[in-house]
Amino acid sequence: MSTSSTHLSAQADSPLQTILVVEDEVLIRLVIAEYLRECGYRVHEAVSAEEAMLILQAPEVSVDIVFSDVEMQGEMDGFGLARWVRANMPETQVILTSGADRSADIAGTLCEAGPLMKKPYHTQDVVDRIKQLKATAKRF
Amino acid sequence: MGRHHVVRLLVASGARMSAASVTVLPRRIPPTILVVEGDVRIRYRVSDELRAWGFKVLEAGSAPEALTVLDAVQVDLLFLALDLPGTGGGWDVVHHIRERPTKMIVTSRETGPSDSPGPFVRKPYQAGEVAALAARSLNWPPPTQA
Repeated sequence: MSTSSTHLSAQADSPLQTILVVEDEVLIRLVIAEYLRECGYRVHEAVSAEEAMLILQAPEVSVDIVFSDVEMQGEMDGFGLARWVRANMPETQVILTSGADRSADIAGTLCEAGPLMKKPYHTQDVVDRIKQLKATAKRF
Repeated sequence: MGRHHVVRLLVASGARMSAASVTVLPRRIPPTILVVEGDVRIRYRVSDELRAWGFKVLEAGSAPEALTVLDAVQVDLLFLALDLPGTGGGWDVVHHIRERPTKMIVTSRETGPSDSPGPFVRKPYQAGEVAALAARSLNWPPPTQA
C-alpha cells in the first residue's frame, strides 16, 4: 500500500457510500463487488452501460461512484457511460478500468482523479482509488 | 452473527423414543444465494433484500453468466428467473445443473410450469416474499431474530 493510500485509509469513511460496479465479465464483477461490500460499501452491479443507466436513474438509488470497465458488450462502452454520467449526474464520480493501454489517454480526460486503472488490478487498489476520490471531493 | 437454532431430536432410548433438546452451534457462515435475473431493476431489489436478511448474494444477468458462476462458486440456493433473455431462458441453467442437485426457487412472468424445479414465485413479487421463502428453504432466521 502506498504512503498516500495509507494516509487516506486513516480518514473516517462513510459505510453508506454507494458504488456501482459496471463489468461484463461476471467473475471479475463478483470479486470486486464482494470485496467492496466487505470494505463497508453499498454496492450495485450492472452487466452493461445500459443496465448502469437504469440503476442510476432509479429514484430509490443514489450512487456516489461508478466503477466501470471500458470495453463492454452493448451499444455503449465505459467511455460513453462516463460521458453520460458527467452530463446527467455531475456529482457522481467515475473510475474507469481497462486492459487496453490505448484507452489511457481518453480516460484521463474523463476522470478528474487521473488515468484509468489498468487490468488486472488489485482489489485494494480500487478501494484506495475510491477513498482518494472521496478525499478529493471533500476538498472542493 | 450470533445466530443459532434449537433443534429437537428424537433419540432412541431402549424400546421407546424420547425427546431431547440439542443446541446447534451458532451458524457463522451465511448461505450463498445466486440471483439470476435479466431485468437489473428486479435483480438489484431482490438482491438487496436478501442481503438485508444476512445472505451472501451473488448476481448474474443471464444464463451464461449463471453457469460461469456455478462452475466457480459453491452456492446454497439458486433464485432463477425462467424468463431470462435468450432461446432457452432460465431453463438452460436448469438443464445444465441437472447433474448436481441444487436448491432452487424459480420465478417468471408466466404461470408456473408443471415441472418446476423448485418453489415458484410469479412476477411481480415482493422481494420480502422471496427472502422469506429462501430463509425457510435454508433454515435461516429472519432478520428480526438475529
